[in-house]
Amino acid sequence: MDIPADYIPTYNERIESLRRKKVQFTERKIKTRGYFDNDDHGCIPWDEPIPFKLKPNHPSGGCYGIRCIGENFRHWLEVHPVYINPMSSLAGAWVCAVPGIGGWKPEDRPYHLYPLHKKYNIVYSGIGAMNHLGPDMRIGLELGWGGLLNKIRKYRELNRPIDTSFYDGEEDVVLGVQAWILRHVIKAREMAREEKNAFLKSNLLSIADMNEWLIDNPPRTLREACQFLAWFQSIDRMYHTGGALGQLDELLRPYYERDIKNGLETDESVIWHTASLFFNDTHYSQLGGPAPDGHDLTSPISFLILEAAHRLKIPCNLAIRVHDGLNPELLRRAITYLFEDGTGPSFSCSKGLDEGFVKNGIPIGLARMRAKVGCNWTALPGIEYCLQDVTRLCLVSPFLHAFHEIAEDPSEEKTMENLWEHYKRHLSTCVDIIKQGFDWHMQHQSENAPEIVYNLFCHGPIERGLDVAAGGVDLINLTCDGVGLATVADSFAATEQRVVKEGRLTWEELKHLLDTNFEGAEVQRLMLRDIPRYGSGGSRADWWAKEISSLYTRLMNEKPTPMGFNVIPGLFSHGVINRLGRDLGATPNGRFAHAPIAHSADPDPGFSKDWGAAPTAKSNAVAYVQPGYGNSAPLQIDLDRELIQDAGGIEAVEALIKGHNALGGTLVNINIVSKEQILEAHKDPDKYPDLVVRVTGYSGYFRSLSPEYRQQVVDRILSRN
Amino acid sequence: MSSQGIVFNIQRFSIHDGPGIRTTVFLKGCNNRCVWCHNPESHEKKPELQYFPERCIGCGQCFSICANSVHAMVNGARVLKRDLCTNCGKCAEACYSGALEMAGRFMSADQVMEEVIKDKVYYDNSNGGVTFSGGEPLLQKDFLKELLFASKSQSIHTAVQTAGNYEWSILESLLHLIDFIMYDLKIYDYDKHVKYTGVGNTRILQNLKLLSETDKVFAVRTPVIADINDSPEEISKIAETIKGFPGLLYYELIPYHNLGASKYRHLGKEYIYNFSAPANEKLRLLANAASIHVKNVRC
Repeated sequence: MDIPADYIPTYNERIESLRRKKVQFTERKIKTRGYFDNDDHGCIPWDEPIPFKLKPNHPSGGCYGIRCIGENFRHWLEVHPVYINPMSSLAGAWVCAVPGIGGWKPEDRPYHLYPLHKKYNIVYSGIGAMNHLGPDMRIGLELGWGGLLNKIRKYRELNRPIDTSFYDGEEDVVLGVQAWILRHVIKAREMAREEKNAFLKSNLLSIADMNEWLIDNPPRTLREACQFLAWFQSIDRMYHTGGALGQLDELLRPYYERDIKNGLETDESVIWHTASLFFNDTHYSQLGGPAPDGHDLTSPISFLILEAAHRLKIPCNLAIRVHDGLNPELLRRAITYLFEDGTGPSFSCSKGLDEGFVKNGIPIGLARMRAKVGCNWTALPGIEYCLQDVTRLCLVSPFLHAFHEIAEDPSEEKTMENLWEHYKRHLSTCVDIIKQGFDWHMQHQSENAPEIVYNLFCHGPIERGLDVAAGGVDLINLTCDGVGLATVADSFAATEQRVVKEGRLTWEELKHLLDTNFEGAEVQRLMLRDIPRYGSGGSRADWWAKEISSLYTRLMNEKPTPMGFNVIPGLFSHGVINRLGRDLGATPNGRFAHAPIAHSADPDPGFSKDWGAAPTAKSNAVAYVQPGYGNSAPLQIDLDRELIQDAGGIEAVEALIKGHNALGGTLVNINIVSKEQILEAHKDPDKYPDLVVRVTGYSGYFRSLSPEYRQQVVDRILSRN
Repeated sequence: MSSQGIVFNIQRFSIHDGPGIRTTVFLKGCNNRCVWCHNPESHEKKPELQYFPERCIGCGQCFSICANSVHAMVNGARVLKRDLCTNCGKCAEACYSGALEMAGRFMSADQVMEEVIKDKVYYDNSNGGVTFSGGEPLLQKDFLKELLFASKSQSIHTAVQTAGNYEWSILESLLHLIDFIMYDLKIYDYDKHVKYTGVGNTRILQNLKLLSETDKVFAVRTPVIADINDSPEEISKIAETIKGFPGLLYYELIPYHNLGASKYRHLGKEYIYNFSAPANEKLRLLANAASIHVKNVRC
């Protein structure tokens, strides 16, 4: 580092150095890998070749099953680059996923479902999807890598399985991690020898000593705990970009209290360690929230973690868990930082989530433990296989099938009741297809792509010798997210108003408009758009939205999958509205063919030109259509910095979040940006290299997003009231 | 039976019109004509046609629907013959692009309350409520009374923004239904007040004095307009007038902005004055002048 030999950088200077490095990394990644429409994930750019050669176990050249994956994962970790930033208190970073690992054997793929997927625009069926469950990192923190290795060996010995593949694969992963850590120890000492600055030299030696201990032993201090979590984050990412961490304040609290008591750390040094952890990766974690007995989990370290994210100012996926007993200072601090930084933590709402999850037959104490560890989702740490956020049901496709059936067949009754009946039938078919897919997934996932990393941090897999998806954990709650609610609700309402009630168009004329993509019929298209839309409150479109959400929820809930797995519905699009819209024709809400469909449960941008398009109107609408079983339907709010920064703005946002929680909402994502800035950044992304926005459930550098994704953010901001 | 009034806007998630998150209901009609007014659509107590040419797609629907030929082409240009317009609103109804919109609509108190009640959960979480603004909301006193009563019945905090230019008995009869009043005192000098607002300020000052003798909590507000009232002397006189009022919560200086200029064009009216917005230094200077007399000055 280019700093004087005797200079000791302040904690803030170290954090600022990490921030600058992240911006540089992002620039290089965009140049070499192109736009990435997800968050930063912490991976570092790497130009040199990595000497890894996959050892496949299948004629197709693929690598399937836990033994083969374990072997290759270990080999990958033995050659994976070593990275240490001397301004960080932690070592390590990942470069890319283990090459060649992933997917399913060709003979296991659900070819029989593909025609149905195509028919109903099911692009994200969840079959073969990875991660998206919550680890219990206390397992790792208590055992360390050495302890995990001993645990694997102990249970292999105890269970004496005929096929030891499971334990062999898991053992290989841990051995690979240990080897990778050891190479960082060596590298840190080499760097220390070369380093002229006394502080950096000392820091590198501390990193070396710390990691030498961590190869075999559990962390003793907060810094060591952060380092352990950083290793977890990196290998979790390397294996299909896992991103769930946990209730971070509670994970670190015992170390923090001990270190402070022993004079080992100060609050400032703790902020540095936590910022270093965030520099390492953007894993999802939660602060505050209810303990099983309902008391609030906020503690002094909750504030320090929040502070670290605030000072670092890079994409970071923290969530504040809002509940009636939440420490008001934590909520206020989070909102204050949101105002200062433009984006910040999301706000996970306990009332809707906990009370909803209880409806699945879960005691409230357990429901409260379900932490927000993903874009839109929560999971019970280490005891639940939930496959969140990977299965999407396009709510629009069944509508188009229903509409065209009625409009094209002279014998069909041209009524809303009949349209609804057809929609119900098609949606029901979609739900069945999704459920069949879940069963297929559960039958084949473990033998193809087992959760080789999460198995280590769950209660049961190692003890039983079973992958989490094959009985390793006791609770299995599969989840599905509906997308495009507003598109369908507005389409129902527009058809009802303009065709059935007013007779401005016949069914045939509307069909013609859709078939011709409104060519030469802009007036009719605007007429269809110009109805009281979903979100305006009390409109027919709001009524339809509730009907559709209730139907979708009932169809998902009324029976499990054919094999008996419970499915919990939500409404969340991630950012795939462009992809899902691409293959769809025009819709009666005035949407052009191939245009994006609506986000999650959000009303369409500009949902009311009248006096309803306020954040509170949106909040009410989204709260009203919640499926209500513990999966989420997030509320995305984009506020204008200029309009809201005056006195009262922070209190208003606080009341908005609390109000949404009280109404049974499940998650609030907020951006506070200036319209001018976002437009300028859209035009010239390089002008704002460090502008961070909350895209949907995740936060990311605005410049790293593709123009399509940037447009999604811009559309939302331009349309606000 | 719910009475009817004319409303030109209902703004939800309003955070600048009283404490907390509020819904501001703007009642149409005003008996002042302040030259800086940024809500020209509030002036007349009747619906008015607004035209936004940039939204027009040239579909011609308005031409065919209007019985009075208000919409016409003259020498290849689209014109709006406002002198022929009865503000019936039929063309706006048929204009799906939003190029034609009506400012103001008749609503029953029940209809207004249906909107207001939607955000009650946010009022409750922020000590917010409903604010009735204008125009001059007191000009629709019966309608306002019903709205205030309905709000209080729902335990919603009520606020009223007023310019005070009416008989005292009107405000007095509603005081028991109002939690907070934002009272405008725009210019101290009588002649200037007449010149720039179209009315004198004797009654306005009297009403403010009478208000101060009640147990009501209120704020006084002055829009800061360049070369009209933006001198420390002028502001000092206003502040001295309200000095010692027991119910005065704060005195607020509201900087002028010209965001309303385009609204005049949309209504076919001319925006004669175009003032410059006061700089922060100027506002601080005025606030200092006011704070000699009044404790809590906001700007």
